[in-house]
Amino acid sequence: MAILDVGYMVELLPILLRYLPLTLQMAALGMVLALALACALAVVRVLRIPGLNGATLLFISFFRGTPLLVQLFLFYYGLPQIFSALTQINGITAAIMGLTLHFAAYMAESIRAAIVGVDRSQTEAALAIGMTRGQLMRRIVLPQATRVAVPTLMNYFIDMIKATSLAFTLGVTELMGATQKEAAGSFLYFEAFITVALLYWGIVELLAWLQRRLEARLNEAYQR
Amino acid sequence: MLRSLTLATLLGAGLAVGGLAQAQDSADELRVGMSGGYFPFTFVRQDVLQGFEVDVMEAVAEVLDVEVNFVTANFSGLFGMLESGRIDTIANQITITEEREAKYLFTAPYVYDGAQVVTRRGNDEVSGVEDLRGKQVAVNLGSNYEQLLRELPFADEIDIRTYESNIEQDTALGRVDAFVMDRVSASQVIQETPLPLQLAGQPFSEIRNALPFRDDEAGREWRERVDAALATLREQGRLAEISERWFGTDITRP
Repeated sequence: MAILDVGYMVELLPILLRYLPLTLQMAALGMVLALALACALAVVRVLRIPGLNGATLLFISFFRGTPLLVQLFLFYYGLPQIFSALTQINGITAAIMGLTLHFAAYMAESIRAAIVGVDRSQTEAALAIGMTRGQLMRRIVLPQATRVAVPTLMNYFIDMIKATSLAFTLGVTELMGATQKEAAGSFLYFEAFITVALLYWGIVELLAWLQRRLEARLNEAYQR
Repeated sequence: MLRSLTLATLLGAGLAVGGLAQAQDSADELRVGMSGGYFPFTFVRQDVLQGFEVDVMEAVAEVLDVEVNFVTANFSGLFGMLESGRIDTIANQITITEEREAKYLFTAPYVYDGAQVVTRRGNDEVSGVEDLRGKQVAVNLGSNYEQLLRELPFADEIDIRTYESNIEQDTALGRVDAFVMDRVSASQVIQETPLPLQLAGQPFSEIRNALPFRDDEAGREWRERVDAALATLREQGRLAEISERWFGTDITRP
């Protein structure tokens, strides 16, 4: 059994770090877009908006029911064969699109659950004292729903960061793609993959720390 | 946190939009797809893409006086990129097969090689392709070695495992009994890496590698130009020179 080549890992780390911004940018942009879409989908579901409700259910069903990798291949390699203009979409854009649609489907359901989780009696009370529907949502429902939704949404964000590692199949050299290529050049598979694993882990831990701080802020009102 | 998130988003948006305006088909830029994970043909060290294929394509671009732009992706994605017009050709030791010839236009072969069985060092049960009966054999997904194995008369008796990557590693670890790859890169892997592997017997099928192009107007034009450039490089002895540099032998002739 060969000894762990620590020197190689130390050399590799700064090289891999060059690809970290791309990974984080894809995840951050994917998260913002997914969150916006998920909110819209959740509103449609909560209010059961006629016409849109069925379409939303179909959307969630499809994007939750098929693997992300299949969706990415579908967007990037499949659709351009039918609509040639879609060839213009590059790998990064396709990856962000895929992440957005895939995770929006999941997040819509957790946002919906957080909204309907706010006790109905509060809605009734708010309406009884003369609040409008808008005031009710802004002042009563959403602040409480946010507190409930944050932990699960952070979960999806963490998952999304790791899901960006699929982008190399679309020709995007992000963190994982760079690692695979370096591993092929050195044949030090263990060293290369343990380095990238620690890197992902470190980022996720950093996020978990931010999440704890955010949750503490949101919980302030509930502390005695 | 919010501010940095906004910043990241803006950066990301700029990136995505910049990407949308990506260069389209152009007669001055040859877009070459490769895996970047196939030593010593295409691989990365210290963040530098290099290898036999990289040198050949750079020489081709020099002869044609065009820019060469290398696009790396997982091997299984490369033909999809070619098909959807994102790259012009693939330089990843692509073997000429009947199926591929029916769909793509190939240049003249620039590498001649053979399919090779490789086992873990000390495994003397397998000394050639006939001994693969009842064995687990790894091949790369989308490569033609799977096809070669399936065409053998005793294909039913071989347990073929298809991998995305790292077949050398899994054979060295003993997870599979053997892998099949071209002779040239198999020899290189054994020579250059610490993995305990050995060649098992002689190559069992001749392989010719060439560059595939799409069968459309732009593809046909590129094929003609690149084919002419390869012929020039061959005449000048530069093809042989590049081969000598990477393999210590001339693999560009039969």
